[in-house]
Amino acid sequence: MGAFPLQTLVGPQSLFKYQAGRVIALGRVILATLFLIAVWLDPSEPVTSIAGTYALLILYALSAIGIAGATWRNWWLDARLAVPSHAADMAVFTAIVFSSNGTTSPFFLFFVLPLLSAAIRWSWRETALTATALVILYLIAGLLISGTGTFELERFIIRAGNLMILSLLLIWFGIHQHRTNLFFAPGQFDTALAERENPLARALSMAMQVSGATAGALVVGAVGEEPSDGISIVGGVERGFSVEEAIVREAAPEAFLFDVPNDHALTRAPQGRFHFGSAYNLLDVDEARGLGLTSGLVGEVQTSTQHGWLILWDIPELSTDFVDLARELGRSAGVILDRHALFSAIANGAAARTRLTLARDVHDSIVQFLAGAAFRIEALRRAATSGAAISAELDELKRLLLEEQGEVRGFVMALRRDHDIDLSEAVAELRALAERLSQQWSVDCRVTANGHAGSIPIRLQLDLQQLLREAVANAVRHGRADRIEVSLDLHGGQLQLNVADNGTGFGKRKGQAIPEPWSLKERVERANGSMQLVSSPGSTNIHITLPLTGAVA
Amino acid sequence: MTRVLLVDDHPMIGAALEMLLRNTDYELFERARTAAEATKQIPKLKPDLLLLDVHLPDASGLDVLRKLNKSRSKLKVILLTAGMDESQLLAAAELAPEGMVLKTSDPALLLGCMDAVVKGGRWIDPEIAERTRHAEDRAASAPPLTRRERELIELVRQGLRNRDIAAELGVTEGTVKVYLHAIFDKLRVDNRTELALKAAELIRR
Repeated sequence: MGAFPLQTLVGPQSLFKYQAGRVIALGRVILATLFLIAVWLDPSEPVTSIAGTYALLILYALSAIGIAGATWRNWWLDARLAVPSHAADMAVFTAIVFSSNGTTSPFFLFFVLPLLSAAIRWSWRETALTATALVILYLIAGLLISGTGTFELERFIIRAGNLMILSLLLIWFGIHQHRTNLFFAPGQFDTALAERENPLARALSMAMQVSGATAGALVVGAVGEEPSDGISIVGGVERGFSVEEAIVREAAPEAFLFDVPNDHALTRAPQGRFHFGSAYNLLDVDEARGLGLTSGLVGEVQTSTQHGWLILWDIPELSTDFVDLARELGRSAGVILDRHALFSAIANGAAARTRLTLARDVHDSIVQFLAGAAFRIEALRRAATSGAAISAELDELKRLLLEEQGEVRGFVMALRRDHDIDLSEAVAELRALAERLSQQWSVDCRVTANGHAGSIPIRLQLDLQQLLREAVANAVRHGRADRIEVSLDLHGGQLQLNVADNGTGFGKRKGQAIPEPWSLKERVERANGSMQLVSSPGSTNIHITLPLTGAVA
Repeated sequence: MTRVLLVDDHPMIGAALEMLLRNTDYELFERARTAAEATKQIPKLKPDLLLLDVHLPDASGLDVLRKLNKSRSKLKVILLTAGMDESQLLAAAELAPEGMVLKTSDPALLLGCMDAVVKGGRWIDPEIAERTRHAEDRAASAPPLTRRERELIELVRQGLRNRDIAAELGVTEGTVKVYLHAIFDKLRVDNRTELALKAAELIRR
């Protein structure tokens, strides 16, 4: 988990991440102060009602500082004051622009603040409303001073046009932002889950890291049932829990902020207006207190099979922006849970296919072998009855049975495992098998491996063992080899197996094509691999490539 | 001496049968490991008796038997199998080889079967006979497939999608789905892949 690039997404010390209200309040303070200083420095300003303009500017600057201070760490007040302060911005800026040279005012561009505030805080609709209000205010003020000496019609029309163009651009920005308002890329957190890692803990950790929360809970249940089981992380300690009553009430919106001590709840439609409510109406207070909730956010989590809530609290920089963030965090948690369910299903399916293949191998190999052994025993019985010598045949049968015993052992070991095995372990098992084969066939069979890092599927390990048995049997039976060297290399997602022997080889017989090691070829093809055979008297080299994935399991 | 051709890919079975038939009236004179090899060798070698495994690497032994029946071959055939599922049992009963022996039965039964078949009789392993009867009872209790359903199964087997099947049969895609679900119920399968596999034998009956 520590590998997440958290600090690049949100620093706990970041002042302005997810803080639209803070940015607007600070912008207001800076502009009001700048206005005051500019008017004070310019002796030609203000043109009209000097005392009134100074009073308004000073009052506005002070209230801007007051609002910034009061809302800096108070998301509830920020949301509450958003509309009134926005209206005040528009009225004050209009009054000041026209008291400072009217249509020719150098401070005209300060109209941008209300427009930008609306575009940042709300949707394009509110931006359009703001733009309309500003144009109307500008026209009314223009009409009021049109008879005075400061009014310049041409400049008035140009500036009204500028204001409208700027408004249209910001409305477009609002619409565009509405579609692409992702706060973070969930893909950055979507790394593969470690074996047996709890997907709920992963989803919760992701949400906590993005939001900067130090406490959180994720509670889920089957779709249609009340979410009752969950996991919480408080102070870095992870624990599972169950609740008797649903913490978040059924009627709760998709995302909201809560403040339990003050009974506040804040929500809004995506990028829409705020709705103020009671935390007690959305949360079960007893369960919430049991978990230690104070103020934080809730986001709905939905997956294909589960429904639940993501609850985060102890968020140092909680702001109104976190309503939208809560919605996204809830959705992202759902995506993580869904992906985990999908990968689990794939893994289970692969394991089931492996078992089916093993069952087929057991049938094809062991059952057929035992049937053959029974035929041989029947033949021996008949031969013995007629007085024929059967000891050589019995020896051969004993050897075959011992060989098969190793095979059965391999099957059982593979069935016992439920995950990939380390290459080093696979090599050790192959070496042990090579030793047994050396004794059985009276040959020198050795296995070498280039590196031992990595792991291979069980299916492949079983194939390797079977390939080794068949290769050694071929080399001795058909090539009369007495030395067999096997090398193994894991490279680029493929396993390379090379079997070299000093036998007479698969020489071309008169009128016939080079005979192929049938059983080897079939097994390699079944594993989606490929095989190359280079054979000459005294040297046979079989090179087999097996893919680690995509094998027909 | 009866000349026997064995069609079986398992090395242990080949070697064991060769031993078992030693000093008998049978000569295991050649061995094929695939259905393709068998199809090529039978007319060339003209054996008296064919010992045919059902599970071959490239095809089913039943396919080899079906071809022989189609060509009105007089060759006597004994199916030698480690096990068959229900649809294979029904297909095998329909193809009616002269003998059927389970590899897992007492090997003495195989020699008994071969003797009976060579004398012109028919010999079926009691376990296979019992399982075939059971499969036939189950098949009889299931509603029979209609001609239309058989047509549809054949198209599913060819890998056609519902839309193409609908066009082929001149019905709507919705009708194809209704037909398919009725077939799934009748044949006790869950999806078209399973249907295609299972119907491979059933449809030929």
